[in-house]
Amino acid sequence: MHDPRMARLIEIVLRCYPARWQRRHGDEAGELAVLLVRDGTPAGSIALSYLAGAAREWLTPHPGWRLTTVACALLIAVCSLGVSAGLLGSAGTARAASTSQEHGHAHCRPGSPGSVPDVIRAVSRPPLIIREARHDRSC
Amino acid sequence: MSRRDGSAGQDVLRRVGDASVLILISLADGPKHGYVLIQDIKELVGVELGPGTLYGALDRLERLGLIEPLPAEDRRHPYRITAPGAAALRVHLDSLEQVSAAGRLRLQLGGI
Repeated sequence: MHDPRMARLIEIVLRCYPARWQRRHGDEAGELAVLLVRDGTPAGSIALSYLAGAAREWLTPHPGWRLTTVACALLIAVCSLGVSAGLLGSAGTARAASTSQEHGHAHCRPGSPGSVPDVIRAVSRPPLIIREARHDRSC
Repeated sequence: MSRRDGSAGQDVLRRVGDASVLILISLADGPKHGYVLIQDIKELVGVELGPGTLYGALDRLERLGLIEPLPAEDRRHPYRITAPGAAALRVHLDSLEQVSAAGRLRLQLGGI
């Protein structure tokens, strides 16, 4: 692949698939992407197709999955949302507190090392990748 | 839309999506792996399947027992159509023909 950024993007997107899928198709999928780019398919379009495929793969229940597995996955997703909401809430509270006090504590300020907004920025990275990929033609 | 002779039951391909049908059609004349499938379908009908769509459809068809993987060649995994897959494809193409014939007849009757 000519553009290393695009190669990296496709590599990241392929990692979005479940481990079982990566073991089975991962190597071939990477090689297929290289061949398609060589043939003139835009790398962004390939990445977007793989991203949609990864989402479908996670959302499609498979015969081998037991009900408890699905329930655990849902529970983890709900907990993650809860933690994110909690972090957002506490960030808002901390910001309000730091603005209401004349001598606010440095560690409560947004952007300080290890503070809550850094965590939120890291969590919001995948949508940024999606937006970048949308610049290219979809498949 | 059910099969006319009824021996193979319903048209199982009715709900699997166009990509799966195109893959089965491409595999009907021999085993192929992902890249060749994409190229063949592009030549056949002018549709370029996205790689994510391709792997999703391959997994679905394999789960349904309509295709099966062959031993890997390097990193490439060829697939071949199974006997139930060929039967399902015939049923589906028959039903498409019925729809096509009915549509043409209606157009003729309507004088359009």
